[in-house]
Amino acid sequence: MASNGTETVELVEKETIRNFSRAVVIAALTAVLAQFSIPLPGGIPFSFQPFGVFFAGLVLGPLWGGCAIALYVLTGVAGAPVFSNATGGLGVIAGPTGGFLLGFVAGAVVIGAVAHRRPSPRPVETLTLPWVLVGLLGGLVPIYVVGVSWLSAVAGLGLPQAATSMAPFFLGDLLKVAISVAVVATHGELLGRV
Amino acid sequence: MLTYSPGDSPIHRLDPRSKLCFQFGFAIAALFSSGPRLAALFVVAALAVSVTGLSPLRALWSYRVVLVVLAIAPLIAGFTPGPPWFRLDRAAESLRAVARVVPILLLSAAYIRATPVRETRAAIQRTIPGRAGQLLGTGVALTIRFVPVLREDVREVRDAIAARGGDRRPVHERAGRLVPLSIRRALARSDELAVALEARCFAWNPTLPRLQFSRPDYLVVGAAVVLTVSPLVSG
Repeated sequence: MASNGTETVELVEKETIRNFSRAVVIAALTAVLAQFSIPLPGGIPFSFQPFGVFFAGLVLGPLWGGCAIALYVLTGVAGAPVFSNATGGLGVIAGPTGGFLLGFVAGAVVIGAVAHRRPSPRPVETLTLPWVLVGLLGGLVPIYVVGVSWLSAVAGLGLPQAATSMAPFFLGDLLKVAISVAVVATHGELLGRV
Repeated sequence: MLTYSPGDSPIHRLDPRSKLCFQFGFAIAALFSSGPRLAALFVVAALAVSVTGLSPLRALWSYRVVLVVLAIAPLIAGFTPGPPWFRLDRAAESLRAVARVVPILLLSAAYIRATPVRETRAAIQRTIPGRAGQLLGTGVALTIRFVPVLREDVREVRDAIAARGGDRRPVHERAGRLVPLSIRRALARSDELAVALEARCFAWNPTLPRLQFSRPDYLVVGAAVVLTVSPLVSG
């Protein structure tokens, strides 16, 4: 008898569906936040994109947080205009800022791993603020290591020059780390209750 | 904005897996090319974009922000904090490096123009083995579905903050309100999504969209392999 491949339907477990759904909406939210920025004095844009990465790790933990940002990057590679300035495609990854997008995946994993200290996520309101701070600062490390190295290679800049050119953005990201810690401290229960 | 446009060009008809494979091979070849070989890759990419019915200039315009970053790089590379203040040799070296990205952007535009996202999703699910491929493929499709929904949610939150005079507050206060409220709304949406997936018997072994390699696909994959190893062969 011909097989139609539907004899055994292997349903996805309830907990996996819940975490997967959260990863999908955080990926979509990161795409939306990537289009939001506030111009600061000096012309440096204050982009909301890193908040998506930070809270992917903080809300979903290392496994599903990394999955969320991997989904975001893959969606962009697939051609959807989800990267900054509504761009998409493999060309953006191969471009000067592509390393930061790849670093975001590792950053979300590091943030989740340090803040939750286990693969599955804890409720946000139970996270301890010092670990949240260390996790967020630790998450910036792979983002900037991969991003600056990539920028240096693609744009033909020396590493010090590439790092110097990204310094204003790093200061902005430190401010975003502080805001994220404050959000966990003041709104942790709100985020954990949903 | 660069998006998929239905058509019947040879590139539209290719399997998304062969197109993705060619893109990767092309990117590797471009990043290790210079001079006439890079010029040839530029022509190939420009022709590919034209075949999909998009002018190369319009394709580049859609990547204008990336191009601005690329244009600034030689200026940063050439700058020195003292006499002679600007070194042309360093700027030229950087210019050669950033020129390699342009044909990759063009080819990427051709892919986006000629490939619906549902085909890329199918390619991901068939290429990445096991459950990871299933989750990532379905996840990409759902992420695209939820972007406009969450964009509206975030706009509503932003407008509500602005209506209360929040847009005149310092940036850290605005971000401190917008971010948690947006995440809370997104997580509420995720609960609805989880219920919808359960109701539709979300399974690890769904029926995948049909994809099929034809003769041109094998030629394109062969070209991708040649491009991928070309930097090794040419030393």
